[in-house]
Amino acid sequence: MSEESGVALESATEDDIDDKPILKPEEPSLPPGEWVRKNLFNGFFNSVLTVLTVFLMAIAARGLLNYVFSEERVWSAPATNARLILTFAYPDSQYARVWVTVGLLAVLTGTSIGLWAQWAGVSAKKLCFWSMNLGSAILLSIVLTQPGVHRDAAGEVLRDADSDVIRKSFSTAMSDRLVWWIVGLAFIGAGLLAWNWLGEMRRRTIRVPSSFLIFGSLGLVVLSLWVVNYGHYAFIDGEFIAISGRTVATTTKQPWTLMWLILVGSFFLGRQIRKTERASSVKGLLNLGWLLSPFVIYWVILRDPAIDYSHVWSTDLPLFLAFAIGGGAVLWLLSYPGIGEAGRLAGVGLVVVAIFQFVAAFAGWYPMLQKVRLSFVLLALLGLAASNFSGERSQRIRFVGVWFVLAALLHYFATVMNAPATVDVVSENFTGGLTVTLFVTALTLMISFPLGVVLALGRTSSLPIFRIMSTTYIESIRGVPLITILFFFSNILPLFLPDGMDIAEFAAIILGYSLFSAAYLAENVRGGLQAIRRGQYEAADALGLTSPQRTSFIVLPQALRISIPPLVGQVIGTFKETSLIAIIGGFDLLRIGNQVIPAQTQFLGIKRENLLIVAAMYWVITFAISKYSMRLERRLGVGER
Amino acid sequence: MSISDAHSPASDDLASRRDMIVCDNVNKWYGDFHALKDVSATIKEQEVVVVLGPSGSGKSTWIRCINRLEVHQKGLIAVDGVELSNDLRNIEKIRSEVGMVFQQFNLFPHLTVIDNITLAPRWVRKLPKSEAEARARALLDRVGIPEQADKYPGQLSGGQQQRVAIGRALAMEPNVMLFDEPTSALDPEMIKEVLDVMKGLAESGMTMMVVTHEMGFAREVADRIIFMEDGEIVEVGTPEHFFTDPTEDRTKLFLSQIL
Repeated sequence: MSEESGVALESATEDDIDDKPILKPEEPSLPPGEWVRKNLFNGFFNSVLTVLTVFLMAIAARGLLNYVFSEERVWSAPATNARLILTFAYPDSQYARVWVTVGLLAVLTGTSIGLWAQWAGVSAKKLCFWSMNLGSAILLSIVLTQPGVHRDAAGEVLRDADSDVIRKSFSTAMSDRLVWWIVGLAFIGAGLLAWNWLGEMRRRTIRVPSSFLIFGSLGLVVLSLWVVNYGHYAFIDGEFIAISGRTVATTTKQPWTLMWLILVGSFFLGRQIRKTERASSVKGLLNLGWLLSPFVIYWVILRDPAIDYSHVWSTDLPLFLAFAIGGGAVLWLLSYPGIGEAGRLAGVGLVVVAIFQFVAAFAGWYPMLQKVRLSFVLLALLGLAASNFSGERSQRIRFVGVWFVLAALLHYFATVMNAPATVDVVSENFTGGLTVTLFVTALTLMISFPLGVVLALGRTSSLPIFRIMSTTYIESIRGVPLITILFFFSNILPLFLPDGMDIAEFAAIILGYSLFSAAYLAENVRGGLQAIRRGQYEAADALGLTSPQRTSFIVLPQALRISIPPLVGQVIGTFKETSLIAIIGGFDLLRIGNQVIPAQTQFLGIKRENLLIVAAMYWVITFAISKYSMRLERRLGVGER
Repeated sequence: MSISDAHSPASDDLASRRDMIVCDNVNKWYGDFHALKDVSATIKEQEVVVVLGPSGSGKSTWIRCINRLEVHQKGLIAVDGVELSNDLRNIEKIRSEVGMVFQQFNLFPHLTVIDNITLAPRWVRKLPKSEAEARARALLDRVGIPEQADKYPGQLSGGQQQRVAIGRALAMEPNVMLFDEPTSALDPEMIKEVLDVMKGLAESGMTMMVVTHEMGFAREVADRIIFMEDGEIVEVGTPEHFFTDPTEDRTKLFLSQIL
């Protein structure tokens, strides 16, 4: 323990590239005995409160431990169905696609951490505490958990005449847990030893890099897959496997090891790029990568679209080229510096055309590919913004270039999404479980965020028409329960669509959820908008900024920073409420734990174990988001000082 | 900078110069309160005009009307020959040619000093980033804080912030600079550094309209002093006339209270 932190120490300074760890002068720490007296037993009332709380916490911990380690628990249910919980019935033959997905995310995550993370490291003092706390928690659990039961040779639980289970005596139970006694004491011992050996000064100044701790502990978990006998449990293509007393299947440990290597490798890659001049352009690319990843993963990698190439050559490609070139020419004209008011009018004209296409679609006046309508919308939006990008030739070329890229992406994804999936599973959905929960969350946030910002701006606008529209939208959406909206979009919306137009249930759910989420998001952003002082608007006006420029450069960046705490609350809420998908018939994380596994013949009616695992998964992800947001707040606070 | 090679104001005949700001019978009401009453004045190119008056006399309101931060309801305001009307194009054109410095600095707290200064030149004047930054650094040199370019406003002292704000306004290469009590929010020891920058600006031939309570600055730098009270102009004159031999009783009373 102490040696480990000593080794890691040397690399601590290299690791923190652009921010020096800010060592706040700490108050001299009290000796533990003194601290306890001063904080927990300073007075009669506080002492009673402390004793009572410790007692209640012990009872709660005992309850949870006895529940988890009870002989009645069938933990093999979630263990066997791990694949179901994570990806639902994704076919085994195509499972490499799932690993490609995880690998892609590992590359993005690793590189992003390497490029962006500003880790100050963890002080040796904290590590000593963690070690001692972990040891104490292990010892406490050993004592609190009730003794185990006697089993016969076949592993059946022995019962007495009243068919109550026969428990071992307390002392036998304690000696059975000898290994855990040693582990717990080892952690406490290591913590204490390091504490004394380091001394007050070094405890505070020595810092172990966070990357080392995080990747190290992940590495230990991966390593344990190879050495610890977790047992081999699986349910693949209708076959149940449950073999205890060996390590997990090779098809589990090999890919995870590879993923760990990819993660660590891309972290170091990110660190290297960070030192070079290209860092900022790579950051831009990474942002784009994150934005596109849900689409690429869901509609390309996992779905494996069967693209009809004759259609691509005859229709899709010519259509794209026509839009790219025609639209590019229009935008080139609109960004001409001398165009003035005419340009803005043309932009508005494009918006009218784009809206008209949708009206025509719903009225059924003439058929048109959805892709074409969406292309018009994109063109109209860029047309409106064109006057902001007028200027020199190079700037205009870049602006038209942006249109090319966006149009290409739009056409590519529209084509891919329209192509049928080659992955076929028993149910209509080709994936489910945690995958679906995460996808719905990611896509919903991506769609509702811009929409929410626009609504918030509309609601605070000085133009009554925008104000009324936004307020009406927000208030009416907020007046309807989410579940109603989800029902509406998954069941009723398809009935309203014009002939020949179809919407997948998954898309319908995301659409409805995004519209709902946007209304709440708008209110959070509005809070931030209202906190911006009038002087900021005046300063922007006095410099001659137009009002879109004022909004995007001055007002929104500040408002969004202020709104971070409520926005994170919103993100967490959105993530957790995806569980409502279970009610409208989707196979999300909750549905699988609550309905799918308990319906299997091997695990008939077994729910609690699954639900506990599902709850733990929700909690881990939510806690991670929450922790990250705290860091984000601290980091963005820098400019405010 | 184009401003620095202009002539000093004293060498020219005032009457022959261009009219920079023309106000003709400007009136403004806040509800029933008559904030500006028939304010008329003409400010010539390269002239430095200091507006004095007790609090609530309408000086800030007037100066804010000139670049349309407040809307006047009656009368005419024209800047460099362009009349202020409801036409958005006129307003944007005037604003980009009139620099304004506020009492509370109003720097953008989320942007670094250099980004504060380059934002408007890049997006309104469409200057390339490199050129805008080169100019911004030259301006920071001129206001005496070249080393603060990459800090955030919150990390600077009040005096430094106000100098950045002056630099930000100058980056648009305005024809006129308006100062709305630029030193009122500053600690006494920081007032001088800001006034020195303003003095340098006046010497370089910038047309300036300054609302202030700094009598020393008014006496030393102003070509003309306009005294306002209760929303109307009471007296106009050179600093010597104003401080030594004012005609109006209200001016005498004001001076007796502050000097």
